[in-house]
Amino acid sequence: MTQTATLERPQSNCTASLELTHALTQTLYREARLLDDENYAEWVAMLADDLHYHMPGIETRYRRDKTNQVSDLTRMAYYNDCLDDIKKRLTRLETGTAWSEDPATRYTHIISNVEVEYTETDGEYRVFSNFYAYRNRNERDEDSLVGNRTDIWRAIGGTFKLVKRRIILKHNVMLSKNLNIYL
Amino acid sequence: MRLEQIGSEPKFSRYMDLKDGWIDRRLFSDPKIYEEELYRIFARSWLFVAHESQLPKAGDFLTTHMGEDAVIVARQTDGSIKVLLNSCPHRGNKVCFADAGNTRRFVCNYHGWAFDTAGELKGMHEEYCYDEGDIDRKKNGLKQVAKVSSYKGLVFATFAEDAPSLDAWLGDFRWYLDMLLDNEEGGTELIGGCIKSVMNANWKFGVENFIGDAYHAGWTHDSGCRSMNNGQPFPPIDMQNSYHASVNGHGWEFGTEGVGDLFLLGRPKVMEYYNKIRPKMADRLGKMRSQIFGSVASASIFPNVSFLPGISTFRQWQPKGPMQFELKTWVIVNKAMPDDIKDEVTKGVMQTFGPGGTFEMDDGENWENCTTINRGVVTRHEKLHYRCGISRQIEHDTLPGIVYRGQYNDANQRGFYQRWLDMMEAGDLGSMPVRHQPRLAGVAETRDVPGLFAL
Repeated sequence: MTQTATLERPQSNCTASLELTHALTQTLYREARLLDDENYAEWVAMLADDLHYHMPGIETRYRRDKTNQVSDLTRMAYYNDCLDDIKKRLTRLETGTAWSEDPATRYTHIISNVEVEYTETDGEYRVFSNFYAYRNRNERDEDSLVGNRTDIWRAIGGTFKLVKRRIILKHNVMLSKNLNIYL
Repeated sequence: MRLEQIGSEPKFSRYMDLKDGWIDRRLFSDPKIYEEELYRIFARSWLFVAHESQLPKAGDFLTTHMGEDAVIVARQTDGSIKVLLNSCPHRGNKVCFADAGNTRRFVCNYHGWAFDTAGELKGMHEEYCYDEGDIDRKKNGLKQVAKVSSYKGLVFATFAEDAPSLDAWLGDFRWYLDMLLDNEEGGTELIGGCIKSVMNANWKFGVENFIGDAYHAGWTHDSGCRSMNNGQPFPPIDMQNSYHASVNGHGWEFGTEGVGDLFLLGRPKVMEYYNKIRPKMADRLGKMRSQIFGSVASASIFPNVSFLPGISTFRQWQPKGPMQFELKTWVIVNKAMPDDIKDEVTKGVMQTFGPGGTFEMDDGENWENCTTINRGVVTRHEKLHYRCGISRQIEHDTLPGIVYRGQYNDANQRGFYQRWLDMMEAGDLGSMPVRHQPRLAGVAETRDVPGLFAL
């Protein structure tokens, strides 16, 4: 079986074609729209069965400190989920008793700085992007989450599925009371 | 340490009547009360500053806060731990800017004053600018806290010279803490890293929620519970065989069914693991404590640490003004656990009680609204109701502390605010009243006290 592509970028230049870059950029925009609309059923359909969705907690450390805060999966993480974990989280919204989601939170995901690369695995593409996610709820409750993402997307049957995502939030102290959002 | 605020004697007792069961709402937003809390509670309590496992080697350090005072916690070459103000004696700048790491020196960015990990001033930029007699290096180190002490891996520090020993401060609560810290050979460790978040709420709302508020769980967290457990609602509460226990303002509310919190974690492998070690736990801690562990339970250590035994979230509510706190979240695991179980626990905690957790999300919203709404100039003069279970106090032949029957209760919350009041009004810490009959005073190892006590 072929290895799934890695998030770590190899040395060689492997920029994807204009057509592929366009297709995956549109995929990211579509995903953002589904998340803004709380259309989680369609969002989950964009996720691969072997998904790894990871958002590590990043401490402030001196430059000389070589602690691997990004890809050491034993460390604290906001998300370190497989597809089933994501689905479990989402069932909360179907219970009718997720009090802090009713009235609903209002979301906007802005996605930019998209770069697409071929990987060592056929049909899998490394996609870099930045996100600005804005939330507002109730009267004047608002916050913004900003950061980078590195993804692996897989071409399956004329569409793309998210296989891996690493999200690096730029907060040290997350300046919000919760993380009721996918990035 | 002389604290100038101590000595004036405002009457905080007018803000509550715990025998009648009410608390004044101004406790949750008044800036003057908050300022007094920093002096009277945070500058005098034993405060959690680290877990020993975060500082395994000489030179390992982390930074945290005691109240709003920034401190460095550093492992020394002799293995001891020192806690130092993270503030240069020259102009007050920070001398350590990282959350954690390893170092030989803490160096101020302003004029290059450099301190060793014990806080001693070792040098500075352009030393020749100081003439003989200008500076005594011995007297210009980083200020040390008054005392540092550990209980089974948890490191505490206090600014108060007259603080009692940590053992006396924790008192009979050690008997309960052993269920978290000593339920298996080898003790505990924190998973690497720390997740920090901010809530615009008064710090006491977090503490009082964990100290006794089992009541909110089945309602607030119905959605969280169902999402983690295939749609199943909260496990039923047995009011006859569940309790509140309060000691020196610390509190643990718990059932005795052994599985409730483990169920809420939604990780069957973790449940299996604890069921496997439970007979050993019974040998170690006695049958009663082995049945309490894993039950629907929550606990707080006065003034600002909380945890869920079984779910394994461990957290601190750091005050940042009367209407804001910073929540630091860790995962606590047994060192002896295999790596895959540690991994399951960590994922389970972050899916339930991390900022993105299915339980946590509904808490913050409540506490923020409690805080802001209580502040209204008319609203703040209305009393808050804390009478639940007020007549259910019992003497229990096994359980130490002030014990109430039925875990739906405000008893531990009343115990917390009683301690708050005692500390806010005490001139010196020696004069603080003891509110319960200690059973374990002088007992060095509470793990070995599993069974019956003489009443």
